[in-house]
Amino acid sequence: MTNMMKKLSENIFDKLSMDFLRNQVLKNAYGNDDTVIAKLDPRILLVWYLFFGLVPWFSNNIIFLGGCFLLVAVTTILAKVAGLVLFLFLVGVFSQTGYLFLVSLFFGGNAETIIPLLVLTLKVATVSLASITVFSGLDPDRLSNGLMWFGCPERLSFSISYAYRILPMLMEEFQNVLLSYRLRGKAPESNGFIGKIKYLVYQIQVIIHSFYPLMLNTAKRSRTTVEALEMRGYRYAATNKEVKKMKLSALKITYDDLLFLAVSFLWMAIVAVVMSYM
Amino acid sequence: MNILEVKDVTFTYPGAGIPTLRHVELQIEKGDFIAIVGNNGCGKSTLCKVMNGLIPHFITGDFEGTVLADGIDTKTVEIGDLAKVVGYVYQDFENQIVRPTVLDDASYACMNYAMPDYLDRGRQALKDCGLEGRDDEYIWQLSGGQTHLLALAGAVSLEPEVLILDEPIAQLDPRHADLIYGILKDLNERLGKTIIVIEHHTEYIADYCKHVMLLKEGHVEWVLPTKEALDRVEDLQASNIFPPQVTLAAWRLQRQGRLPRERMLPSTISAGREAFRNLTFVKPETSENTQEKEPQDKAVSVSFQDVSVSYRSVKGEPKKIYQHLNLDLHKGEKIALIGSNGAGKSTMMKLMTGLIKPNEGRIFLKGAPVHETKPEQLSKYISLVYQNPEDMFIKDSIEADIAYAMQVREVEEWQEKTEALLERFRLTKLKDRDGRLLSGGQMRRASLAIGVALRPEILLLDEPTANLDIATRKEIMRTLKDMEDVTDTVMIATHDMQLVSEWAERIIVLYQGNVIADGSRNEIFGNKEVVEKVGIRPPEIFSMGKALHDDAFCYTVDEFLQCFV
Repeated sequence: MTNMMKKLSENIFDKLSMDFLRNQVLKNAYGNDDTVIAKLDPRILLVWYLFFGLVPWFSNNIIFLGGCFLLVAVTTILAKVAGLVLFLFLVGVFSQTGYLFLVSLFFGGNAETIIPLLVLTLKVATVSLASITVFSGLDPDRLSNGLMWFGCPERLSFSISYAYRILPMLMEEFQNVLLSYRLRGKAPESNGFIGKIKYLVYQIQVIIHSFYPLMLNTAKRSRTTVEALEMRGYRYAATNKEVKKMKLSALKITYDDLLFLAVSFLWMAIVAVVMSYM
Repeated sequence: MNILEVKDVTFTYPGAGIPTLRHVELQIEKGDFIAIVGNNGCGKSTLCKVMNGLIPHFITGDFEGTVLADGIDTKTVEIGDLAKVVGYVYQDFENQIVRPTVLDDASYACMNYAMPDYLDRGRQALKDCGLEGRDDEYIWQLSGGQTHLLALAGAVSLEPEVLILDEPIAQLDPRHADLIYGILKDLNERLGKTIIVIEHHTEYIADYCKHVMLLKEGHVEWVLPTKEALDRVEDLQASNIFPPQVTLAAWRLQRQGRLPRERMLPSTISAGREAFRNLTFVKPETSENTQEKEPQDKAVSVSFQDVSVSYRSVKGEPKKIYQHLNLDLHKGEKIALIGSNGAGKSTMMKLMTGLIKPNEGRIFLKGAPVHETKPEQLSKYISLVYQNPEDMFIKDSIEADIAYAMQVREVEEWQEKTEALLERFRLTKLKDRDGRLLSGGQMRRASLAIGVALRPEILLLDEPTANLDIATRKEIMRTLKDMEDVTDTVMIATHDMQLVSEWAERIIVLYQGNVIADGSRNEIFGNKEVVEKVGIRPPEIFSMGKALHDDAFCYTVDEFLQCFV
């Protein structure tokens, strides 16, 4: 236990270093732009997501849910999603329902208690993986164009792609601020179990404190950005329908898109047939 | 034809007591290449924002007078329409880039203004700015110089007649600086664009600009052709502008009566060769070489042993920064680390503070391996002052920032020590202000004070003079010399060759992840091969001396005047 604590407290900065996070965010956003999923038309994917993001909530059939889960698992693999996102997914699903599942098994739960939990876990997992496929498989620009086509306000789609533009810079800055705290601060002694806990608490405190200078630095930067956006016609574009049309003209539905829909449809049809025989 | 006319403009920022611009009168001809000079806070940036319409449209305040850009009154049209006449590149240009990929950003403005051929315009602008073939690259893959070119391309894509650049080379190594000015020259000569730069580096003004405008306390002192402008040494110095060293040397020779008065002062090395041809070279008696060749038996402070480092990259192979680096730094050395942008200067400093861990090899700090020590413990021995001083400010006043490290360590008499530091760095009056709101020079001084608060044995400074005007740079150099008693070993990563040659005892040159030269200033600047390979631009007076005589090693104007009589 102490050994695990030691590892945990020493590694919270090292394994989850800002450099690593930054790399994962970039990888997630842009590192997989040559996958099958990334090349699909964003509108097709959003329609696809509408099905796999909503329908699972309304079904309790374990075969149907299992079928959906397998399909989105395959698309997630195709999208080459970054490791960190998958890790967060696993943690998320486990903390939602997975642990109940294990606990009930441990206390000798039988099929009656396990199946409802399995259904819930499958639902959460399916919807999460479908979201991961769409939102992390597509690069932010294509995603925001797709959203815009469906009538989402221009501001939302700009925010999405701008967030990805600014995020690496922010993370680098955050890393520096954190280091300022670490180099100049004084960490509590990390001997013994209590010491480890104290050290962990200290590290978390430092992370929270670091947000304040980060926000102020960002505010200072954004002054230039706001002026530049004004000069570069951002406000003008937001009110001009021509511009929207130009932006969206790059979107084209290809043979691959239809194939993707067809394969998904076929798979769900097979699942439906199996369901009717069970 | 005048492309820009500023008529009797007075502007006061909201809440400011006195106007920033006072009755500014200015005409700029089409096709001009003009430099605006003036000391900090004289209104240079404000004047530029008046010319592109941000004032009065976006920044409100008390505005009087008229500005005509290509015949259009800036008050009557929107900023967007003016952007097609006047393009603007900020000093903090990276904040001007809003899109993730290169072509996307270059064509962004054209798309916003609904130009159907926006992609072609973006491509053309990239071509004009020397970024051809990088269309699909992501912003973070670009070097600092390339990012600046992209910001320029974003402005060029709208095909404005006038381009305004606020301190274009402040953050760049000399090679990138030459590249930027080469492209500006091309835009000016080939495409007939009018270029306006705010610039402190008078050597670049001498090489590239046609006219110079001196702005003083919010009004135009004079506009003159470059040669005549640089001839006015007194005027420039009164505004804290430092003329090219060659000009300064000639000016001082004139005043000593060693050079005829009636001639124009030289401003470039080729002109200097002509002007100084009658001087004779005398080898100075105190030769540096004898002092520098003493054996290195000093204790080793930091030791890199077979260190390899690479960064994770978004795609493909990790990017290798260092491969099998071996290097020893000794106690008491004053080391300058030089090399182009991206050569690994910052990485080396981060390795020493334990922020980055080497993939292979080990780094020892006073004999103890860095990666087995917590940063909190390292701070007793080593301190790093970042390139961006804002990242050093973690409290809401600089007094609290300076005190923080001593306070949490319960250093005895930390209050007194903080006060002494504030006094030493001339910050006592500013002690309650947030560091972010200080001027560039004050911010640097504050970050230095924070860096030395714990009296570390090794002090690392990353680009301490970047983004500063020359007067402030001199001030920081004085501060560095003052600090000699506080720290033992100091290492500075910098592009500022005047700082290097006046301060450093040992120069380490990095090139593509290797140390390719390591020695005294004479050994480095005298080594033509290294200077060319890395793109080092020695202080101008050094090159001047070399041009006159092969054995001349003069790094300051004073030394030059002693060497040549």
